[in-house]
Amino acid sequence: MTPARQRVLTIGLIVVGILIIGFFGLRTLRAFREFRGHRPPPFSPAEAQQVETDVELIRDWMTIPFISKMYHVPPHVLFEALNIPPEGNQEKSLNDLNREYYPKENGIVLEKVKAAVLANQPQQIPTARSAPTFPPPAP
Amino acid sequence: MSDFLLTQIINYGEPILGAIVFIGAIGAPFPATLIVIAVGAFCRQGLLTWYTTGLIALVCVVLGDSLSYGMGYFAREPILRRFQGSERWMQAESTFNRWGGMSVFWTRFLITGIAVPVNLIAGTSDFRFRRFLIYDFFGEAIWIFGYGGLGYLFGTQWEVVSDVLSNLSGLTLGFVILAIGIWLGIRRLKKNSATADSA
Repeated sequence: MTPARQRVLTIGLIVVGILIIGFFGLRTLRAFREFRGHRPPPFSPAEAQQVETDVELIRDWMTIPFISKMYHVPPHVLFEALNIPPEGNQEKSLNDLNREYYPKENGIVLEKVKAAVLANQPQQIPTARSAPTFPPPAP
Repeated sequence: MSDFLLTQIINYGEPILGAIVFIGAIGAPFPATLIVIAVGAFCRQGLLTWYTTGLIALVCVVLGDSLSYGMGYFAREPILRRFQGSERWMQAESTFNRWGGMSVFWTRFLITGIAVPVNLIAGTSDFRFRRFLIYDFFGEAIWIFGYGGLGYLFGTQWEVVSDVLSNLSGLTLGFVILAIGIWLGIRRLKKNSATADSA
């Protein structure tokens, strides 16, 4: 390799390295800030039994049976809310269902599923930590 | 792409995951790290069993890496015909033999973007397959069980973890490229000053 080419390669690597560091550095910083706001969910058996309640975690790549398992809402309830037959639609994502049954209403399936989950979530069983405490009776 | 793959995993489970990591290991641009973290979360949700899923993924990814090592190995003949005996080739081969193990290990889980080129170079150079396999196995085990474990730990919040790790991988690649550039620059400066001194 000629000295001129070596120089170009060296400068090129340094410039590309700095650009990549800048790009991913900013993204990592942003992602890390968001990450700091999250804590892993509890692992104790009682708390692990608790059902997921945050419907904002529903994504359009999820299928109805998956959402049903995640939020403990029977699948037929979700299919009914969408006005869609379960047959042949069990393995389709919300995005696919939206494209097939509501092609003119973008994102409507996701919204309907979120609303149906919210309306049909099972009652949470109170755990030891969240159980209400009563003051001792007055003497 | 990742949405489609995630839907397939929740529908068909481990076999699809195995296929994804295998094809990813031979060079298809799949978001495999994101998938591994998501699968960890699916294990926590009870959709998959962590040990069989981990084992299948590990076997498939090591097979994929071995195949891409093999591609490099069989491309060795024409490359050797062209470069064998040249000082640069021998230098490159000895450098890889010296640092190759660590390159294979770190590119399995930290700088995953260059894992396939490293496999090909390992196959093409004189790097022994058994050595490759050992470094590859341990690196991939960290990738599968470490990253998958984070997905398991964070459960439904796995997307946040995935975001941090994929950006961190890009950042590390940037530092590696910059370090190589600086190293080449310093080497060149030293060479130039040595030439000037001897003149």
